[in-house]
Amino acid sequence: MSTREDRFKKIEKLLNPESVAVVGASNTEEKVGHIIFEGLTRSKARLYPVNPHEDVISGHKSYPRISDLPDIVDVAVITVQAEKAVDITEQCARKGIDNIIIVAGGFAEAGDRGRALEERLRAVPEHSRSRILGPNSLGVFVPENSFDTIFVEHGDRSLAGGGRVAFISQSGSVGVEALGLASNTGFPMRAFIGLGNKIDLNELDFLEFFGAEDKTDCVALYIENVEQGRRFLEAAREVSLRKPVVALKAGRTPSGVSAVSSHTGKLAGSDRVVSGAFRQYGIQRAFDDEELCDAAKTLSYLPPARGNRVAVMTGAGGFGVMCADYIETDNPRARLRMAELSAGTVSRIREKAPHFASCHNPVDLTAGVNDEMFVHTLEALLEDADVDILICITFFAPHAVTDRLIDRMAEVITGSDKPVLVFTEYGPFTDTYLKEFYKKRMIGFPSLTRTVRAARFLVERGRILSALGEPP
Amino acid sequence: MSGTDMAAVVQRWRSSLSIPDKPNEWESKRLLNSLGIAVPPGVFIDAGSCLAADSDVFVLGTTGHCAVKVCSGDLLHKTEQKGVLLDVPESRLPDAVAALQKRFPAAGILVEEMVPYRGGEIIIGALHDPTFGPAVMVGAGGILTELYKDVAFRLAPCTAKEVHLMIEELTIYPALKGYRGLPGEADTLALIVSKVSELAQQLIREGCQLDINPIVWSRDRWVALDVKAIISGDEITRSA
Repeated sequence: MSTREDRFKKIEKLLNPESVAVVGASNTEEKVGHIIFEGLTRSKARLYPVNPHEDVISGHKSYPRISDLPDIVDVAVITVQAEKAVDITEQCARKGIDNIIIVAGGFAEAGDRGRALEERLRAVPEHSRSRILGPNSLGVFVPENSFDTIFVEHGDRSLAGGGRVAFISQSGSVGVEALGLASNTGFPMRAFIGLGNKIDLNELDFLEFFGAEDKTDCVALYIENVEQGRRFLEAAREVSLRKPVVALKAGRTPSGVSAVSSHTGKLAGSDRVVSGAFRQYGIQRAFDDEELCDAAKTLSYLPPARGNRVAVMTGAGGFGVMCADYIETDNPRARLRMAELSAGTVSRIREKAPHFASCHNPVDLTAGVNDEMFVHTLEALLEDADVDILICITFFAPHAVTDRLIDRMAEVITGSDKPVLVFTEYGPFTDTYLKEFYKKRMIGFPSLTRTVRAARFLVERGRILSALGEPP
Repeated sequence: MSGTDMAAVVQRWRSSLSIPDKPNEWESKRLLNSLGIAVPPGVFIDAGSCLAADSDVFVLGTTGHCAVKVCSGDLLHKTEQKGVLLDVPESRLPDAVAALQKRFPAAGILVEEMVPYRGGEIIIGALHDPTFGPAVMVGAGGILTELYKDVAFRLAPCTAKEVHLMIEELTIYPALKGYRGLPGEADTLALIVSKVSELAQQLIREGCQLDINPIVWSRDRWVALDVKAIISGDEITRSA
């Protein structure tokens, strides 16, 4: 059994390899081996294409076999089909390669023959120092060093700025499509890991790794089945004391409830126990890919809420009213309520607001709002001791609201120890504004429901910290 | 109670069952009782025996009314099989017992006082989750429990503090905090659920389930009115 330190070192190499072999690298453009190899040329790693039928691939000398490599590479990416992939994995293990990524599918999900192949793969990490990611893994993407083995479009340019969310996904397409969409408005990613069939490396390995390292401040997971259930939960509890853990658990396992069923068995289905267990161990549960990405982005950028009192400011009355309704709606994640502003705050807002503005929560500055008024109100609300979270409904349509407001808002918002969420809509320009917000480290959403949902994640996070922080 | 004590209690109890791995309600209530969870005063009448004359007074308590139930590990759905008679007055008790004995000649009969209670009916449950193992449940109980679905789960064992957070998730939570003058007994309920979670950790293996439904606030304590334990999962048979 390897030590934790040893395991972490190997994962570190998997994310930041000095040298990479791509088995099945090719000059033929439509081949997966070609796409992956081309993608890797953007990274700083030394690259070794392995292909017995080519001499040179993208300017790199090609080697016929793994055993011919002059170097023990940190990572081997195997892009050939299942049967061959198993042989090559065994060769990689004999060579002493620490990390093997197997892209091919066609294993346990493909019947008896595939299961037999998977059994052979399972034997590899048991009898060597090699660790396997996959099979059926979409691979690894680390914006920081441009190490990218993903062979489908995934919004890489938008994600290239990097960030501090570790995104671990059992499903390739869910992970990548979610990120692709999130990247339209900016998503702060530390690393993407495609787990695939997880015959060796699984969510527990990566939860522990990203939980412990300094470069990650939020761990997001898409998982269908949890390996080592209790150990995973114990690890999550430990991690969630330091940083948020958000998980989308899809796929309901058969409940294991016998035919003579109790009320408890029927009520459990199979999913409510999961929700209860996640709450108990400090995991915040998301129910779709958009929610997972929204939550991860929010929790990565913003401090947890100290309470559940929300202040809303708006220049558009209708949205303020709707927002208050959403806030007051019951929700099992966290109960929110509209903050009651202190008299001092109300009169301070009134100093600069139009005389017909409503200076109570939700504060409606009306279409007469301008940059100055907006920032003044923002500051007043953040300084009110009875406000835990602020939602800014920001429209750039009124003539006195200029794009300069973004910088001024950002200065106040990023300087505050209270979380602020921004909602904006501006026709076809909405995403452009959201991206600007993101660049200035503000969290914005193009819908009120998503904004209020993000607020609930922050309140839930605050509650987790106080529940886990105190001795039971 | 430590984990080893609990294990010993469960072991002793299991070896005492009249039908191995099929506890009847009386036996399940003895188990709860040994953990400090109250059950209604009652007597168990073996198949073919009669109600002893001197047990009447003990059973009837102050309400003067009894629940008479068929009680066998082989009969899990006693209500559906018309094996339960409620609100039986003292004068009708011998007839009620005789009637059930006639319908279920091979089964025992449980006679209990119909205890008075205030507030809502609560369900406490336990089961084995295929991924995470033993888990406990608490929520709105009674016969409508599966319609309301107002329940929350945690893995076993869990502390009273963890249980408290679970109770706070329930829609009926205010009813346990003194809503409209109801008994505010969330804290004492949390202790009982925590105790059941310790039991679940020892008792609940693959295929096992436990329903305590309802448990009610009666005469200043929580009393389990009905208990159903299913422990004849495959795993149990193998390890026994």
